[in-house]
Amino acid sequence: MSWAARFGGARATARRYFAALVPLAGLCELAAHHHFAERAPRFEAWAAVDEPVNRLRQAGDLLVVAPRWAEPMARRKLGDQDMLLADLARPDVDRYRTAIELSILGQRAPELAGWRELGREKVGKFELRRLENPRPLPVTFDFVGALGPEQVSVQMVGPGVTPCPWAAQAPVLAPGRGGHPTFPARRFACPLGELFNVGVTVIADQDFLPRRCIWAHPPAWGELKIRYRKVDLGEVIAGHGGMDWMIERELHGAPIRLTVKVDGQTVGEAIHRDGQGWARFEFGLGAHAHARGAEVEFAVSSPNYQNRHFCFEANTR
Amino acid sequence: MSEPNLVSISSRRGRRLQALGEPQPSGFTDLALAALVATAYIVLLLHTVGSLGYTRDEGSYFQAARFYQGWFEQLWYSPAIALRNVDSAWRVNNEHPSLVKSLFALSNLFLQRRWHLFAMEGTSFRFPGMVLSGLGIGLVYLWGTRARGRLCGLVAALSLGFMPRFFYHAHLACFDAPVVTMWTLCAYCYWRALGRGGWLWPIAVGIAFGLALDTKHNSWFLPVACGLHALLLELGVWLARARSGPLHPEQRLQVRLRRRRSLAALGSMALLGPPVFYALWPWIWHDTVKRLAEFAKFHLDHVYYDMEYFGRNYWTPPMPRSYAFVMTVATVPAITLLLFFVGLVASRRTGPQSSAPRAPTRSEIEPGTALLWLLAIAVPYAAWLSPKTPIFGGTKHWMTAYPFLALFAGVGLCAAVRAARRAWTAATVPGWLAALARGPGLELAFAAAVLVAPVVETLHVHPWGLSSYSPLVGGAAGGATLGLNRGFWGYSTGAVTGYLNATAKRNARVYLHDTSPFAWDMLYADRRLRLDILSAQTIAGADFGLYHHEMHMQSQEYQNWVAFGTVRPDFMAGLDGVPVIWVYRQPEAPAGSTGSPAPARDPVPASTQMP
Repeated sequence: MSWAARFGGARATARRYFAALVPLAGLCELAAHHHFAERAPRFEAWAAVDEPVNRLRQAGDLLVVAPRWAEPMARRKLGDQDMLLADLARPDVDRYRTAIELSILGQRAPELAGWRELGREKVGKFELRRLENPRPLPVTFDFVGALGPEQVSVQMVGPGVTPCPWAAQAPVLAPGRGGHPTFPARRFACPLGELFNVGVTVIADQDFLPRRCIWAHPPAWGELKIRYRKVDLGEVIAGHGGMDWMIERELHGAPIRLTVKVDGQTVGEAIHRDGQGWARFEFGLGAHAHARGAEVEFAVSSPNYQNRHFCFEANTR
Repeated sequence: MSEPNLVSISSRRGRRLQALGEPQPSGFTDLALAALVATAYIVLLLHTVGSLGYTRDEGSYFQAARFYQGWFEQLWYSPAIALRNVDSAWRVNNEHPSLVKSLFALSNLFLQRRWHLFAMEGTSFRFPGMVLSGLGIGLVYLWGTRARGRLCGLVAALSLGFMPRFFYHAHLACFDAPVVTMWTLCAYCYWRALGRGGWLWPIAVGIAFGLALDTKHNSWFLPVACGLHALLLELGVWLARARSGPLHPEQRLQVRLRRRRSLAALGSMALLGPPVFYALWPWIWHDTVKRLAEFAKFHLDHVYYDMEYFGRNYWTPPMPRSYAFVMTVATVPAITLLLFFVGLVASRRTGPQSSAPRAPTRSEIEPGTALLWLLAIAVPYAAWLSPKTPIFGGTKHWMTAYPFLALFAGVGLCAAVRAARRAWTAATVPGWLAALARGPGLELAFAAAVLVAPVVETLHVHPWGLSSYSPLVGGAAGGATLGLNRGFWGYSTGAVTGYLNATAKRNARVYLHDTSPFAWDMLYADRRLRLDILSAQTIAGADFGLYHHEMHMQSQEYQNWVAFGTVRPDFMAGLDGVPVIWVYRQPEAPAGSTGSPAPARDPVPASTQMP
C-alpha cells in the first residue's frame, strides 16, 4: 500500500474517532486530577524526613525547603531544634558553607543554584541533597546574635542623651494585622514610647521573606546609637537594612541614615530609601581590619521619624 | 455524509433522542426537571455546608442581617416606629444593596429562630444564598434546554454547579453566587422577551434587573450586555442588507418585531429596574441621590486589597490584564473549558438558525441566543482588561459569566455527540460503537465522561474551594508552586475548630488573624467552638495564633515566631498537602516557672462548654 493511501486511511480513521476526543479529554482530566491531588506528600508524611535529615545534616548546615510553600510542614515535623529562626530568617546564604536542600515535586531552591552537590538521597516523595557553597563568606561576628546587655549598650542622642536600659522580661508586643513586627520580651527599651526599642525581631522583606534583624526605629531628633564592645573584626562590616514591606512600599517616608563607626571613627554610611527593600551595605574596615576587642557603633537617624520601622542586620567577615 | 434520520432508527428511540438533543419549546416537564436539578443542588449544598468556616464578608453580612431583622420585626409590630427608624437599621453595611441580606435576615428569623430547621445557626443565614444558587442551576438547565435541547441544558447546569469555585461560593451568605442567578435571570427574561413578544417577559426583564441591582453592583453591566446585543443584531441586519440587498418581507417583519421587542425589554429595564431597586433598599429611601452617589463611589473608587499572582503581590495599579483569563483557566475544570470552545465553534459554524430549528411562528423569532451568551461572558470579563480593575476578589467577580460559559459547554457536548453519531453510524466502526451511536447511550456516555471530572474535583476540594486549582496548573500544589493565591477572607477557620476544641485549655485565647470577629462568633452560635475559647485582639497574650496564608500576610506569621518563640506550627490544615491555615501555640512554660500572668477574664461555667 502506498504512503499516500496509508496516510489517507489514517486521516479517515482519525476523523472517524475525532469526536471521541471530547469524552476522552474528560477522562484524562479525571486521571490528571487524581495524579496531581496525590502528588504532594500529605502533612503527616513529613514525619518521614526527620531521620534522613538528622542523619545527613552536619553542624552548621543550612536547611532549605523547596518549594518554599512546603516549609511549614518541615518546621512542624522537625521543630525548633532543626529549623532555627536564625536560619529561616537569614539575611542571605553567603555565610553558609554547606546546606541540605529538602525538596518535593522536583523543585529546587533558587538561592542554592550553583552550589556543588555532595550527595543526594530519595525518601518516598522527598529528595534530600547536601550542597556545598562554592564561595562561602564565613561570618566572624554576628551583631544580631550578640545583641544583649553583656556586650551592647543603647542610647538616644539628641538634644540630650537618653539611655535605653535592657529589659529581660518586657511585655511582648505583637499587634497582629497591620501592626509593627513583634517586640520581644528581651530588648533595650527606650523611655520615649513602645516603638523606640532595640531588640531582635523578624520583618517581611519586599518578597515577604523573613529577615531577622535589629529593630532600630530612629528617634524624632538626633540618633539612636547601638554600641557593641569587644568585637573581633574581620575585613568588612556588611549587612542589610530595610523595613517591613507593607510600610516601605508606600514610598512616603523619609530616608534613613545608618552610620557605622569603629573605635569612634566612621567606616561607612548607608542611606536607606523607601522602595529599596532589604538592601545590602558593606564597608571596608581599612586600618581597623582584623582588630580585636574593637568598639562598633551603629547610629540610626532620619529627618522625619514617622513610620520609619527600620531594621538591620550586620556582621563582620 | 448525511445525518441519519434519527426518527427513522425506531420511532420510540428517535423520540428519546429528539427529547435529548433538540430545543424544548415549552411544557411543564422541563420546568419540573429544572426544579429537580435545583432542589438536588440545594440539598447537596446543605449536606456539605457543615465543614465550611465563615468568611470575613459573611461576618459583616450576619451583623447587617441582624440589624435588618430587628427592623423587620419592628415593622411587623410597630410599623410607624419602624418607618421612622429606617436609617438606623439600614445604615449598617450600606455599601451593598440589601435584598440578599434581607433574605438572610428573614431566613434566620423564620427558619431558625421560629422553626429551628437547621443544625447550625449560620446555615440559616446561608440558606437563601444556597437556594438562589440552586435556582441559578435550574435556570441554566431550563435555558439550555429551551435553546439547544435537554442534553445541553443538563450538561450546562451541572458544568456550572460543579465548578469548584462556584460550588464554594454557592454555600456562602454572600452576594456573589446570588448575583450569578440574578444576572442569568435578567438575561433569560430579556431573551424570552425577544423571542416570544407579549407583555409578560418585558415586565419580567425590568423586575429581574431591579432584583439584580438590589443584589450586587455587578448588575450595573447588565444593560451594557443587553444593549450591545440589541445593537449588534441591528448591525447584523444592516450588514445583511449591504451584502445581499433588501430583506425578504418575512425577514423584514422579523427584524421589526425584534427591534420592537428589544426596545420594550431595554425600556423596561430602564423604567422598572430602578423603582424595584429603590423599593427594596430602604437605605436609599432618604437622601436618595446622595446615598446612591456614595454607593457608586465606594465601588468605583474601591480600595485595592492585596492579591498574589504568579508569585508577585499586586496591591496597586497597574493590575495584570491576564488575571481574569488565567485564573479562569486555572480554576474551571479543563473539560468544561474545552467544551466551551467546542460550543463556541459549533455555534459559529451552525449559525443563528441552529437556535430555532423548529419553524418559527410569525410571532416567534430567533433572539440571537449565541450572541447574547457571548456578550454575557464578554461584558463581565471586559472589566479586567483595565489595569485599574482590582483583582482581590479572585474569580468571584466575573462569576456572572460562568452560566454562559457552561451553556456553551452544553452546546459543545451536543456538537460532539452529533459528530460522533454522524461518524459512527455511517462509517465502519466496531459494532458496539455503532450500537452505542444508535441509541441514547451515546448522549449518556458522553455526558458522564465530561461531567465526572468536574464532579469529582469539586467534591474532592471541598471545603477548600478558594484554594483549589485545576489539573491544568497541577492542582493545589501546582497553584502554590506557581505562586497563585491560596485563599482570602480568612475563610478556613472552620478547619481548625476541632483542633482548638480538643487542645485549648479552659479560657484559652486565640488570635484570629484574618477571621472576622462576627464570623468567629457564628462558630460559637453553631456550637462548633467551645464557648470558653476566647478571641484575642493581638498575638501577644494569646495562647494560640491562627495564620491564614496569603503572600502579603506573612509578616503575621513572623509575628507568631517571635511572640511565641517558636517557628513550629502546632496544627495545619489545607488541601492535597498544601497548607492553607496553620496554628501556633504558646509553648508550655517549664514546670515551676512563673511566666507572665494571663490577663484577667470572666470565668466561664463548665456547662457552657461544648460536649
